[in-house]
Amino acid sequence: MDDIGFILTTYLVTFGSVALLAWRVISRGRSLARQLPDEDKPWI
Amino acid sequence: MVNVTTTASSSTSAAGPAATSPTHAGTRFTRALGIITIAAMLSLAAFGLVFSPADVVQGESVRILYIHVGTVWVAYLAFVITAVSSAAFLWKRTTSLTWDRIAGASAEIGVAFMALTLFAGALWGRLSWGTFWVWDARVTTTAFLFITYVGYLAVRGLGGSQQQRGRRSAVVALLAVLEIPLVHFSVKLWRSVHQDASVADRTTNVTLDGLMLFTLMLALVAFTLVYVWWVLLRQRVLAMQDALDDKGLDYALAERRREVTADALPGSVR
Amino acid sequence: MNAWQVARLVAAKDLRVELRSRVVLNQVLPFAGLVMVMFAFALDKDNILQRVSPGLIWLATVFSLLILVQRTFAIESADGALDALRGAGVSPAGVFFGKSLALAVQLLTLEVLLTGLAVVLYSASFSPGGAVVMVATVLPATMGLGFVGTLYGGLAIGASGRETLLPLLLFPVVAPVLIGATRATEAALGAGGAATSDGWPWVALLTVFAVLFGVGGSLAFGPLIEE
Repeated sequence: MDDIGFILTTYLVTFGSVALLAWRVISRGRSLARQLPDEDKPWI
Repeated sequence: MVNVTTTASSSTSAAGPAATSPTHAGTRFTRALGIITIAAMLSLAAFGLVFSPADVVQGESVRILYIHVGTVWVAYLAFVITAVSSAAFLWKRTTSLTWDRIAGASAEIGVAFMALTLFAGALWGRLSWGTFWVWDARVTTTAFLFITYVGYLAVRGLGGSQQQRGRRSAVVALLAVLEIPLVHFSVKLWRSVHQDASVADRTTNVTLDGLMLFTLMLALVAFTLVYVWWVLLRQRVLAMQDALDDKGLDYALAERRREVTADALPGSVR
Repeated sequence: MNAWQVARLVAAKDLRVELRSRVVLNQVLPFAGLVMVMFAFALDKDNILQRVSPGLIWLATVFSLLILVQRTFAIESADGALDALRGAGVSPAGVFFGKSLALAVQLLTLEVLLTGLAVVLYSASFSPGGAVVMVATVLPATMGLGFVGTLYGGLAIGASGRETLLPLLLFPVVAPVLIGATRATEAALGAGGAATSDGWPWVALLTVFAVLFGVGGSLAFGPLIEE
């Protein structure tokens, strides 16, 4: 079980990075959507 | 806390363009996709760390491979999508910058996942081969692909017009398609001169039982969902960013004018 | 005016500018020579130097390539020269081949000097067969480097921060040339006990590289420099 540190590090780093990426795109989307009118949001 | 209240009050009271608009980049579809993605990622953690058994040959370290294989699949998928969107952008250049933004969004998450791949791979290599790095053709090509797309993202940030950004980065993405096979082949030829076969070919013979195979598939699906969700949202954010860069000053002026009229006629805002 | 005439004119123009300014002669060539001396300081032992001299020749070439590429596009961005070239409505492929050719000629001068220095400083030596392999290596490798250098040099023209971006873009792409040319030169010099005939697969790789990036570059150069 010497491997446990390596395994947990891999999982933590991976899931943490994915969460960070998700949080950043959501918060950036929120701040930009607040500044722009609807005609600049073609997906609506 | 203060921050939350101010943003909430400004989005409700300001009678600007934001008052009726959604204040996020999501749609019902991306929300649903996001929830499915979270569920898939959580079950990947459960199956990868707990439910799936240790490998007969590799022991516990096989758990890293679920992450490694899942991320590398998404990274390569991302770069294929970047190349295809870049080609589409150059093909009909005048139609839309959407292709360019999809290419950019895809490359961004591709770079992030490639970094994760290299990280997980290095840790796994240390456990299985006793070394973080091998000069194997596949490993080296992956590292070169990573650096190439870091360069691609740097090219996107060079400045100039949006069309210029699109053209430059599309050309870089397509040249990478030319570059990567050459790097792979030359490293392969180089290593074959120095040693018989690559380490990777000898030690990756994992015997997959049912639950392990299921976990691997789950990893592929979960990371692919992350990719799709992220690219969808990110290219919307990039579109808004471009719109803001285009007309940012106009909006700022309109906002200011509205504030002035709102102050002058406090009763007639609504 | 067809593409080949444009290429000849552009190449002649670039080389004339270089001959008159003497920047390559007075600055780039001495720099490359200096790098060879610095390698000797860093790696110390004579037998190590002889063993790795092929790699050092090509490393010095690749580093000098960066300087040459920056130089060749500094000429174009000064005084709106590129705008004039665009305005003239000549074939972008012609401009690409012309600039690549001029770059290759400068690189070739550099490689001859570096190989000479390797013989003098690192006691490298050629057999007659090795000399043939060496010539066969240098030609496609130089053309490949010229194409790639022109392509990525033209990419960031006029943008700020391109001096620092160029190596990041260029080095991954030239990796096959560095690997291929070094192995072929090892074969040519017999360094590390390599047989002369071992060089030919690498010459083939270098040729494929040069052809691919020649074709790709001539197609891509138009969209790149367009306003």
